[in-house]
Amino acid sequence: MSRHFESLEAGAGGLATSRVKHGWTWRQLVAAGGFAACLAMPVQAGIPAPFAPVVIQPAGAPARAEFDLTAVLARARRENKWLYVYLGASDCPYCRKYEAFLEKNAVELVPHFSKYIVVDLRSSLSVTTDALFIKIADTSRPYVEFQKSIGDERTRNVVYPSVWLLDGKPKPLMQMPAGTGTFQTVAEQLEILRLEQ
Amino acid sequence: MHVTILSRHRLLLATIAAWLGMSALGAIAQVGGLPTNVKHTDSSPEWEKLREKLFPGRSMESAASMVQLVVPLRAAYGASVPVRIVSKLPQSDNLYVKRITLLVDKNPSPVAAVLDLTRELGQADFETRLRVDEYSHIRVVSELSNGELHTDSRYVKVSGGCSAPPNRDQLHNIGKTFLKVPEGIKANEPAPVDLQIVHPNDTGFEMNQISLLYIPAHFVRSIKVSYAGRPLFDAELDFSISENPALRFNFIPGSGGEIKAEVVDSKEGRYVATLRVP
Repeated sequence: MSRHFESLEAGAGGLATSRVKHGWTWRQLVAAGGFAACLAMPVQAGIPAPFAPVVIQPAGAPARAEFDLTAVLARARRENKWLYVYLGASDCPYCRKYEAFLEKNAVELVPHFSKYIVVDLRSSLSVTTDALFIKIADTSRPYVEFQKSIGDERTRNVVYPSVWLLDGKPKPLMQMPAGTGTFQTVAEQLEILRLEQ
Repeated sequence: MHVTILSRHRLLLATIAAWLGMSALGAIAQVGGLPTNVKHTDSSPEWEKLREKLFPGRSMESAASMVQLVVPLRAAYGASVPVRIVSKLPQSDNLYVKRITLLVDKNPSPVAAVLDLTRELGQADFETRLRVDEYSHIRVVSELSNGELHTDSRYVKVSGGCSAPPNRDQLHNIGKTFLKVPEGIKANEPAPVDLQIVHPNDTGFEMNQISLLYIPAHFVRSIKVSYAGRPLFDAELDFSISENPALRFNFIPGSGGEIKAEVVDSKEGRYVATLRVP
């Protein structure tokens, strides 16, 4: 590794002037540190701002990722609205694809979200089915148990991204598909918002 | 053959994508980008070919006056799309539903089920779950005892149903067959029966996520059901039926007897279940 960096240094015209232990220059360390930081930093993720999402971060790490819906459900009941609950992962390409679709079509779509409170659950792909919990009031249920409790058929492995359409109880307004691939056109997103079965 | 190779190639890619998601992450991601501006009543090139092959030269009524298909536009999973067939006439001596054909236009094997029915059903309604591989029409063709054909169709937006990683934790129970009737059924009135078979119903398009080899096709290919020794229906099935094949159908309870289901799979596995009805 050291030799590799040295050759790079030579190729760069010997610009690095100070050297630290093991043959790394300060410039190389800064560059490597920056690269590592980029790898560690999640890509910008989540529902785009025009949809005014309520962002919910998970609690209970690292053993579990618990998302507390208590406050948004209370708000939904108070404002007589429905919830558009989005579960995304910071490292999920399909999530970025759906979020990019929303962003690109925000002007057209946002007015149709008016009866929904958009909720953005921020997870990661390392949070698998057994580690994902949904909390409402004093009850925290693992994913599968939560799905069964509300009558949602999606009780296999958790899929990223996922969307729930819920009323304030919460009960599903309709059975949603696993993933978002079947509503990534404006027309199909509107079908979902209109609860077309 | 050409279609089969293309389908396998596409399914291979989809399966690898699904496997990568599953193995590394314990999660599956979905893909989109399939035709959306399709009406439930539209035809398709696949249907035109199937129709000519299965019902050559025969006219078909499509007003949903005799048979209705109830399927959600989207289902939770492409590998398990709930389907309900509602017949609009009772199984009477004068006129009854003689045969029902259930199809998925764009599945690798489109004919999901052919059911030969008797009047003993009382009411020719059926429920099951289907694998649907991509955005497609699901169709039912109901053939009446007078030779008329009636059809209904629904366009569904799901994908990946034939290559979805199967649940393989019940292989030791393969073939176990269950029959169930609700409490309080009345004599001489159609009553529902639930039939379920523990079976992976492997399509041949699913990949073993450890060996990365395709799991050979192995599916329930026929079910014969009788009540008190009299046939209710014979079903010829295909892998488009979801894993753990389930059927809900009717029968008319009489003075007591046994419901019997005889199941045969594509590896000649034979399984029998019986249920005594008071």
